[in-house]
Amino acid sequence: MADSPETTGSLVKKEPETPTHDPIVSRSTSGILLLCALLLTLSLAWALWDEAFGQRPWKGIQKEFVSRYTRYLKSIKPQAGKTEAEVKESAEYQQLEAEAQAALEQVKPETAEADKKVTLIQKQIDAVTDPFQNQRGRLTVISYNIETAEGSAKEKYRKEAERKRQEVVEVELPAADGSGKTVAQDMNYEQLEKFYNDKREEKATLLAKKAELLKEPTELAKKRDDYLKHHIIGLTPTAIDGLVRKMDNFDYSILGHQISVNSANVVDRCEVCHIGIREPLDIKPADLAPDGPGKKPDSLARAFVSHPNRELLQIHTPERFGCSGCHWGNGRATTGEVKGHGRHKYWLWPLFEKENMEAGCQQCHAKDRVTQGADTLNRGRDLFYERGCVGCHRYEGFDRETDALSGTRQNTTQLEDQILQNEKQIRQDTEAAGQAAEDAEAQKLLAHAESLRVSNSLLAARIDQANLQSKYLMQDQKKIGPNLKDVKLKLRKEWIPVWLRDPQNFRPGTKMPTFWRFAETANKSGVERDKDAEDQIRAISAYLWQESFEGKAPPQSRGNAAHGQELFETRGCLGCHSIGDASSPTGGEFAANLQRVGEKSNFEYIVRWIHNPRERWAPYCPKEKRDLTAEDYSKNGKPYVFDTELNSRCPNDGAELQVQNMTVMPNFRLSDSDTRDIATYLFSLSSPPSYADASFMDDPNLKLQGGALIKQYGCAGCHEIKGFEDEQRIGKELTVEGATPIERLDFALLTHDAEKGHDPLDLHGEHTEKPWYNHKGFFEHKLAEPAIYDRGKEKDPKDKLRMPKPYLTPEWRTALTTFLLGSVGTEGSNVPRSLFFDPQDQRRQDIQNGWWVIKKYNCVGCHQVQVGQNSGLMGVAYYQTPEGKDLLPPRLTSEGARVDPNWLLRFLNDPSLSGDKPAVSSPASAGSPGILPATPSASPTTPANATTAGRMPALPAADGKLKAQPGLDRNGVRPYLKARMPTFNFSPNELQTLVRFFMALSGQQEPYIKEPLQPLTEQEKLVARQMFTSGTPCLKCHITGDPTHDAKAIAPNFLLAGERLKPDWTFRWLLDPAQISPGTAMPSGLFRKEGERWVINLPNPPASANEYKNDHAQLLVRYMLLLTPDEQRRLLATAPVAAPAAPAPTAQRGTRDKKPSTSAGRDRKTRRGTALARAVSLRSNQRGRGL
Amino acid sequence: MFKQIKVWLVLTTILSLIALGTACSKSATNGPEAETPSATSKAYVPKGDEGTVSGAIAFNGAPPAPKKIDTSADPACGTANPNLTTEDTSVKDGKLANVFVYIKDGTAADGTKIGDYTHKTPSDAVTLDQKGCQYVPHVLGVQVNQKFKVTNSDPTQHNIHPNPKSNPGWNQTQPNGAAPIEKTFARAEVLIPVKCDQHPWMKSYVGVVKHPFFAVSGEDGTFVIKGLPPGKYTVAAWHEKGGPNGTEKTMEVTVAANGTAKADFAFGDAATASGNPGLKMMPALDLPMIGRH
Repeated sequence: MADSPETTGSLVKKEPETPTHDPIVSRSTSGILLLCALLLTLSLAWALWDEAFGQRPWKGIQKEFVSRYTRYLKSIKPQAGKTEAEVKESAEYQQLEAEAQAALEQVKPETAEADKKVTLIQKQIDAVTDPFQNQRGRLTVISYNIETAEGSAKEKYRKEAERKRQEVVEVELPAADGSGKTVAQDMNYEQLEKFYNDKREEKATLLAKKAELLKEPTELAKKRDDYLKHHIIGLTPTAIDGLVRKMDNFDYSILGHQISVNSANVVDRCEVCHIGIREPLDIKPADLAPDGPGKKPDSLARAFVSHPNRELLQIHTPERFGCSGCHWGNGRATTGEVKGHGRHKYWLWPLFEKENMEAGCQQCHAKDRVTQGADTLNRGRDLFYERGCVGCHRYEGFDRETDALSGTRQNTTQLEDQILQNEKQIRQDTEAAGQAAEDAEAQKLLAHAESLRVSNSLLAARIDQANLQSKYLMQDQKKIGPNLKDVKLKLRKEWIPVWLRDPQNFRPGTKMPTFWRFAETANKSGVERDKDAEDQIRAISAYLWQESFEGKAPPQSRGNAAHGQELFETRGCLGCHSIGDASSPTGGEFAANLQRVGEKSNFEYIVRWIHNPRERWAPYCPKEKRDLTAEDYSKNGKPYVFDTELNSRCPNDGAELQVQNMTVMPNFRLSDSDTRDIATYLFSLSSPPSYADASFMDDPNLKLQGGALIKQYGCAGCHEIKGFEDEQRIGKELTVEGATPIERLDFALLTHDAEKGHDPLDLHGEHTEKPWYNHKGFFEHKLAEPAIYDRGKEKDPKDKLRMPKPYLTPEWRTALTTFLLGSVGTEGSNVPRSLFFDPQDQRRQDIQNGWWVIKKYNCVGCHQVQVGQNSGLMGVAYYQTPEGKDLLPPRLTSEGARVDPNWLLRFLNDPSLSGDKPAVSSPASAGSPGILPATPSASPTTPANATTAGRMPALPAADGKLKAQPGLDRNGVRPYLKARMPTFNFSPNELQTLVRFFMALSGQQEPYIKEPLQPLTEQEKLVARQMFTSGTPCLKCHITGDPTHDAKAIAPNFLLAGERLKPDWTFRWLLDPAQISPGTAMPSGLFRKEGERWVINLPNPPASANEYKNDHAQLLVRYMLLLTPDEQRRLLATAPVAAPAAPAPTAQRGTRDKKPSTSAGRDRKTRRGTALARAVSLRSNQRGRGL
Repeated sequence: MFKQIKVWLVLTTILSLIALGTACSKSATNGPEAETPSATSKAYVPKGDEGTVSGAIAFNGAPPAPKKIDTSADPACGTANPNLTTEDTSVKDGKLANVFVYIKDGTAADGTKIGDYTHKTPSDAVTLDQKGCQYVPHVLGVQVNQKFKVTNSDPTQHNIHPNPKSNPGWNQTQPNGAAPIEKTFARAEVLIPVKCDQHPWMKSYVGVVKHPFFAVSGEDGTFVIKGLPPGKYTVAAWHEKGGPNGTEKTMEVTVAANGTAKADFAFGDAATASGNPGLKMMPALDLPMIGRH
């Protein structure tokens, strides 16, 4: 096989062919190898370095913190020492110190004596301890031997034990005189044991005695130390030393600063760098500046600060929530700021920007209406509701009444179906029973039929309840914008297209957004106005005009503008409305600026509106889906009367009607002439220009197109429009908008710009090139310019973005963005549901339910409801002056603790406390021939108002009559206030919610059961009367029922107290009113503490008071709460207040009464005369009322 | 082949170095926030070359006639002071009394801001008396932390109710014969209105100033501020009328060493509508002081 010649030939050794260039010989790989080795070494070095430092940038940061913080602590230590020294120098401390020292000195001799004795005894014990214990040990050994020995050996050991007991040992006892000498003494075991035990007992007795002696000095010393502790502001030098020591032993690790919350799956290492967060000092950036405290801070110094809201941190302990639970960010990352803060495209929970911080609150507090401490977020929620976002966008929990109403209606339908089915079954059963073969079977069937009948009656009861609920809900259902069924009555025809062209142009800041697709200013947004923009405006105007109620509000003459202005500025209108030029308006932002009302509306309609905004032109029947006319009533033989009380049902089919204008504006119970004066004032502020002709609005051909546009733009979200009463929302639901994946937020052609940080709107200043391809960026830009994502797009008109441009200040935009960012639901949240705030206790639920109503009606426009919140009126310049402060509506921070809930319910239902029946709207019921509904057949005047008509002032013939006003011109509790608590016509639902809210806010028990008050003895009455009249100022300010006096009174009538106030609150109020209501006219210091009781604080108290040995303040509380009209008369008769002949008109009287002689003025004068009588009748009235 | 490996190696190295660099670089985003430490205040020591600012307050136009006050609510007042009149514009021979004049701002010759000096708190108290149901004096000044004593010389009760903005407010009852009330104001505030809720016409104004350089114009309208270190100052004159917070006028003066600077002010007709915020609602709202709880 291997012998082929070829193979042989190949075996011949050939000289290797030496190549001219041998790579093995001539080239070496050592260079490459060296390079590789070097690179390997380098990368190893780099890997090691990176492991030690690169991946641990926080180590350097921690070192920096320790050095800067230590430096800062040392710098503040001298100051801390100074405050400690200052406290120690104070008289109080010195006295405590002296007392402690004196007590110590006093017991010193005795304690010293005891100490001496104890020392001696101890020596004696020491001397005897060893011998005694030795002997005892030996005896124990012998005892053991006895136990283990057998037979006779036992006896032997027993004898040995006896010997041992008798054995005498010599003990060197210290002499009893304490001379230090020792005395040798012989003692056997028994003696030793006794001596040892006796001495120990003696020592214990002595020590106990000493402790007893030292008790007082020790307590005094503790008192002194406590005083020091409570009066040192900031940290003591010792505490600072402790912190410095902590820094010396700083734990440079991750684990030492990591928060793990297993239950929430949170691991947060934020404090690895943000080390100062929970330090017990308020660390500000400048404190830890690189160049020393007080110098210019760098970014690290800003990262080292302590948490700005310690209180919040106490409620939300990091141990339970971590940091990222609220702030978001990537809690586990430690290698860099960007990563740690989670500012990465693919990280779902990037750290919230500072201004949107409170989005984190919304994540867990989504069910709250008001979250305490989260002002920006609360503002966002307010705006979402107030500015009408909710008109187009559903958001779970918002628009409660509409949601509840549809639920109730659905429920009713189901129940009705059930009844019908049951009836069918009953018929079948009854029939079957007649033909049954067996009696038993027949009986069974009949029994079944009977049970179904009973069930049906129960179902009927549930339907009744549901109907009642739907009545209440319809009463409480409101719209953001005005009722557009009224346009013909209310508006100047030509003004409508002007307004639609751009509402913000006519009234900057108005709630009505600019519809950029047809607005004149559209091009500003960078997107072109629709080509048929003008046609759209004309069509919409035409629809609204033609689909309006026909008719005319009764004619009204102009009144007194100056008086109208006074009323407008003082009655409380400014709590919601603003007035004045748009650039510097005064008043609230809740409702419209009324500066230009005269340019757009009919005077008559405005008068009627101010008189009672809820008064509806014609009722709407949701069942028939149309507005009823007088004919509907007359054909059923019923008067054309509709209100929320007895006439809320449809005459045709009994369905609950919408009988009110769906506005939150309340009724101020103004007299007709006051109403005219206010309207006259508003109309005096502007003069109507001449608008372009708008006769096209009567063109029926335009109407159809207008309806389609109204549907497309979703106008009915905020307005009541004929034909669109049941219109659904057109926008996207936003309940979990913050959790929408970023890919599904359509940045359209701006995606690139957003990623690169190019901002066409320049929302954050001129040169910030910050990428905004994130949720925040999307929301902000959408809110600022809703058209923005249509830029550059070629779209069919019907596909264009529909969202109009709302008026939003940059702060408002931030607030709404914050709200949306936090709206992530359970799926989008970075913590488990178990951490969400979902209070199960009734109190917290009552508070949140109440906030919905409080915010809905803007109670906070006039009232301070919660500590720390300011009312709208407080922001008006006038109400900041001392005079103005006194005229502010009452503070309600302690309302639940102050008033009886039953009284509060009555008051909220009728703030005039007049007992008049609050009726709402029925154009014809008030005997108002002036109001002429279009249908001529409709004026069946009813004589129902004969009783109230007596109070109506006679009017000039020219004026159309307005409906009678129950509780006309009356403030129930504080008639002296110019601001008036209006009638809101709350449904029983809302009344209950409000009462429960106030009770819950003050932590009051529900239901309230009055504690009986001890009746006053005659003697006590006498004492109380004398206290009232001799030296205390009570009767000077409080209303007493004496007309001359009451004209100047500035506090409520005591007669109201019994029903209204709670005794414990009244007691605390008497002692220190400023604590409950800072700035109140009621002075402090009326009582002083004497031992355990409060006594009247007068230099010369009446003799009877001196003799009265119980608590004076408690006596006065009982006296006030049990006051009867008779007793009040007796009290006034005792009072030395002269009823002087009033001097000539004076400055004070002059300004007060300078009102023109209006009906209100006359009315007030007559009222004064009968104030007392009325107060009495009021009480009986209220008892009579079922509420 | 080798070349390729080399290129890769070099690239890897460079990339890792870059990565290292980026990983280690701290993003330093120093904001513009620069907190300069506040200048330490220094104790004021007079040097002996102090000057004076003096002047007179004129009232232009016809002064409103004092109005008689209806004291019927408290007969004790009517008895004690039957001719009680309003004191808001007290004019005599065209000169306005009860104007509070003080150094609002300025720099002493040595460059120290007037506000940076600390002054010793005077040990004596400033007294506000209630006499004849009027506050005496009507306008007064105190230094920060100086004792402010309120006495009651009337046979009736009063309550003293200051309405400060930057100091804590209080409202204390003071029956006739009761001991004086002593309080202090810890913060400069011009001016704090004081009122009595039981006698709504009673008004007084307390100017709290950090330094002793203030005065109240007398019946002849004149005032003198003494002991002022030489320098350039803003003198402010405040009068209670003209707006919800009164009216303040200012003037720049230069005080030479041992010199006297003139600062004459005028209120009245030609001098309205300064420092008058917001809504013009004075006519409608010039109501008596009435209160509430």
